[in-house]
Amino acid sequence: MKMKLLATLGAAVLAVGLAAGPALAQQKTSGFKLMMTPKWTGFPYFELTGEGAKAAATELGDTLIYAGADHAEVSLQVETLQNFVTQKPDGIILAAIDGNAVAPVLKQARAKGIVVGTYDADAAVAGRDMFVNQLSYEQAARVMLDAALIDAPEGGEIAFIAASPTSPNHVAHMKIMTELSKTEAKYKVFSVVDTQYAGDDDAKSYDVAVNLMQAHPKLKVIISSSAVSAPAAARAIEATGHVGKVWATGFALPSAIKRYLENGSQKAFAFWDPWELGYVAAYAVHQKLAGKFDPKEGAVLDVPKAGKFKTFKDAEVVYGKPLIFTKETVGKYNF
Amino acid sequence: MSTSAKRQLPLWEMALVVAILAAGAWSSTLSPYYLSVDQLFGSTRAFIIPGLLALGLAVVVSLGEIDISLASIIAVGTVALSKLSAAGVPFAVAAPIVVAIGALCGAFNGLLVAKWRLPSLAVTLGTMGAFRGLAFIAGSEVGYTDFDDVYLWLGSDYVFGGVVPVSLILFALAAAGVWFLMHRTGYGRRCFSIGLNPDAAWFAGVDVVGVKIRAYALAGALAGAAALVWVGQYGSARGDNADGSILFVVTAVVLGGMDINGGRGTLSGVVLALFLLGTIRNGLGLANVGGPTQTVVLGGLLVAGVLRPAAAAAIARLSRPAKTREARAQGE
Repeated sequence: MKMKLLATLGAAVLAVGLAAGPALAQQKTSGFKLMMTPKWTGFPYFELTGEGAKAAATELGDTLIYAGADHAEVSLQVETLQNFVTQKPDGIILAAIDGNAVAPVLKQARAKGIVVGTYDADAAVAGRDMFVNQLSYEQAARVMLDAALIDAPEGGEIAFIAASPTSPNHVAHMKIMTELSKTEAKYKVFSVVDTQYAGDDDAKSYDVAVNLMQAHPKLKVIISSSAVSAPAAARAIEATGHVGKVWATGFALPSAIKRYLENGSQKAFAFWDPWELGYVAAYAVHQKLAGKFDPKEGAVLDVPKAGKFKTFKDAEVVYGKPLIFTKETVGKYNF
Repeated sequence: MSTSAKRQLPLWEMALVVAILAAGAWSSTLSPYYLSVDQLFGSTRAFIIPGLLALGLAVVVSLGEIDISLASIIAVGTVALSKLSAAGVPFAVAAPIVVAIGALCGAFNGLLVAKWRLPSLAVTLGTMGAFRGLAFIAGSEVGYTDFDDVYLWLGSDYVFGGVVPVSLILFALAAAGVWFLMHRTGYGRRCFSIGLNPDAAWFAGVDVVGVKIRAYALAGALAGAAALVWVGQYGSARGDNADGSILFVVTAVVLGGMDINGGRGTLSGVVLALFLLGTIRNGLGLANVGGPTQTVVLGGLLVAGVLRPAAAAAIARLSRPAKTREARAQGE
């Protein structure tokens, strides 16, 4: 069986080599089978990461299958990953719902020689070969404060809405933003007055935003790392007649906040390009499979169409290209 | 129970068996990876946790009641197990404690439903949130992963040449136990009689309150056992464990032929329905069919399960009009 497989593989490589002309490569460099699962399917953000990954796979001569459950439930994600492993892919790309719960099945995949890359949300380090991180925590903190400066150049009181006190990236963002507001000249105009939690829930975020505005009459900016809470805060500001007095910012999909930017009730929100994030994640896994990229600290991933990305500790490849949307630029984005 | 009902139920189970075989054949055409012993046994792990919940729910449904808080009891169980693990308690001691905590949560539901005669849907909707909130407060979203290997064995290991999951054996034992309880003991008969007519059962001397509380406690205990499997399978305990799995559980129970109004149904039907749903999900999953399609299929089967008794009755009326109605009236 193994011999037969090798023979077929050899013949395929030979055929490709003969057809393409150049000398035969020692290692397989193309035609990989990649499988990708987001936290859940159907959400525009994740669909775009899937499209980006598919585009990379097509360019590189790989096939990519994108599948997953329609709601973020970890047991379904593990089932999807188990099904992936059964289908013997070369690489798996995922955004983990619970980084620890997916670790057993990912370790099993890696033991079979499958290259595992996470993006958007990481899995336990032992479960994956690399993590393509959209923004480092500090980048995220800085870009949100920069957006807040566009809203309120004169500074003032700011308050945070996070998902929960245990949501790792939100908590890290808030910590760094608080520090920056005390230490860095540019951001010293801000003072943090409150932190509330809304569990990535639209209605709760709205209520929390209303409460924040009542509790802090001098509040200037509400900042949230949650792409659910930030638009909800914008809606609350408009509905309670605080337009021009209080601003909302943070991470939000352009489609969710376009309205507020265009009608002038808000000035700036931040995000990154999910399409390109997916593109880079698939590119990174491909390069690792092809033996052209080893995600060690300091290694650089060269993606001709997107840029060069540096690798940090624990195989964390930082994509790190934040975007700020304003009234002028928001129309350019279709997600 | 009327003779027509007796004849009707095995027929449904036969239909489920045929459907499982058909789904298996269909799955093998969907994916070349489907037909392998490792894969087939391995895939059962995906529905053992909802399966344990379905066994307990079937008992509750036989009474004409419902319990949608079971998935939240799993979260209470996993978080409790994580605390016991952190305290260095041996698994042999921790496991029964977690099952007992599950039983207590269930008994609390049962007390509210039976003693204070509150509607079970409202009660368990409330405790669904309350139990999960409790799990979140105690366990947090970050969760606990530092489990000893002994804690993981039940949910992660395989026996018989590394093919059969340990959890599948646990499920088989639980299914056999609940089947025996419901179809071979007086307790099971009392459950079905309460489901058919609680007042008649009470007049006949059945301790309706006690039977109900015990049924809810059993369902809770099985959810506690499911929590043990969860920890083994995923190695992670946190407040959002098993959130959102209740649709699958209710579908299995209803599709298995349990009358949602109580009084009728078999445990073998529920187990067969679990295998049918598992086979369909396994096949669709290996064919990389998207989540929304799977949810539609699941919802469709739930509706089919609910419509089944009505459809069967309609067909019976058409074929033997007067006689059947008489027989049913006498039977009830």
